[in-house]
Amino acid sequence: MEVISSFAIVVLAAIIHATFQLSISVLTLMSGHAIGTKTAHTKLLRLTHGFLLGATVMTALLIAFVAFFVTALFGTKAPLLLWATCCGILVGLGFSVWMFYYRQGKGTSLWIPRGFANYLSNRAKATSRSVEAFSLGLTSVLAELLFIIAPILVSALVLIHLSPELQLLGVLLYTAISVLPLALVTALIGSGHKLSQIQKWRESNKRFLQFAAGSGLLVLGFYIYVDQVLSVALTSAGGY
Amino acid sequence: MNEPKAIDIIKQSGKRASENFAPEKLHHSVRAACLSVRSPEGEAETIAHSVTNAVVIWLDTKPEVTSGDVRRIAALHLKKFHPEAAYFYEHHGDII
Repeated sequence: MEVISSFAIVVLAAIIHATFQLSISVLTLMSGHAIGTKTAHTKLLRLTHGFLLGATVMTALLIAFVAFFVTALFGTKAPLLLWATCCGILVGLGFSVWMFYYRQGKGTSLWIPRGFANYLSNRAKATSRSVEAFSLGLTSVLAELLFIIAPILVSALVLIHLSPELQLLGVLLYTAISVLPLALVTALIGSGHKLSQIQKWRESNKRFLQFAAGSGLLVLGFYIYVDQVLSVALTSAGGY
Repeated sequence: MNEPKAIDIIKQSGKRASENFAPEKLHHSVRAACLSVRSPEGEAETIAHSVTNAVVIWLDTKPEVTSGDVRRIAALHLKKFHPEAAYFYEHHGDII
């Protein structure tokens, strides 16, 4: 696989990751509580930046861990079966996101276990220090693992056959793109925008984001299937 | 703030025990919703006071209500004073 196409896959996977909304929901809730209890603006900034840093670190750690794990198991060339499994996960997840990502009704409630959502909600309410915000950022990315595991796995698979410098660049690129919406919301909150406006925008565009995420997963799954599974299988069958 | 008679508030999930209506809790949550949408503190205080009074008057004829009812009626009154705060107050539980 060429370097350019590898990075194109990483960028697409990161954009898909960026459309998932759990971390933004937790950030909105945490900021709402902080502003509602008259937290000083500098402290609010410390909280939101702590959260952003936590989410960024966990995203980078996840992709680095998956890449390391796959390399340890299969070396620098992923087997055909793993690529095929990856396609299956992408397509299955794509349809699932289309159908189930948001719960029915108003708001931006997600299809995650309610106990987990309540836990995150309570933690967001109780967060008053930047170190707590940092760990909440870490946790919110982990809570989204069910949805983000597919783009992370694909990115890890394409990165492992690159040189170490390019691997590092790929991890940084993926992380930067995937946390971009979170950074944008952090900047909006920091610059004094109303949370109600941010939440209204999220609610009115949630179906579009859901459609974009599901479609992105399907497109990526189809591309990986043609590029990594079908072409390799046909080459093997043809003997050249 | 008007003093309410003792009214049972049934928790919406049904898992927690009923409790007496506490106007200060409602006042606090409405005030927090107003502050969350960057209302000045004085305005938030005045709005919270007005909304709490309106809910207390509404509760006067009810022997028991659910916490969801209280939230819905409070949001209805809050919408008259501050629609954005009302939106945030109403959808607070639907963010995650």
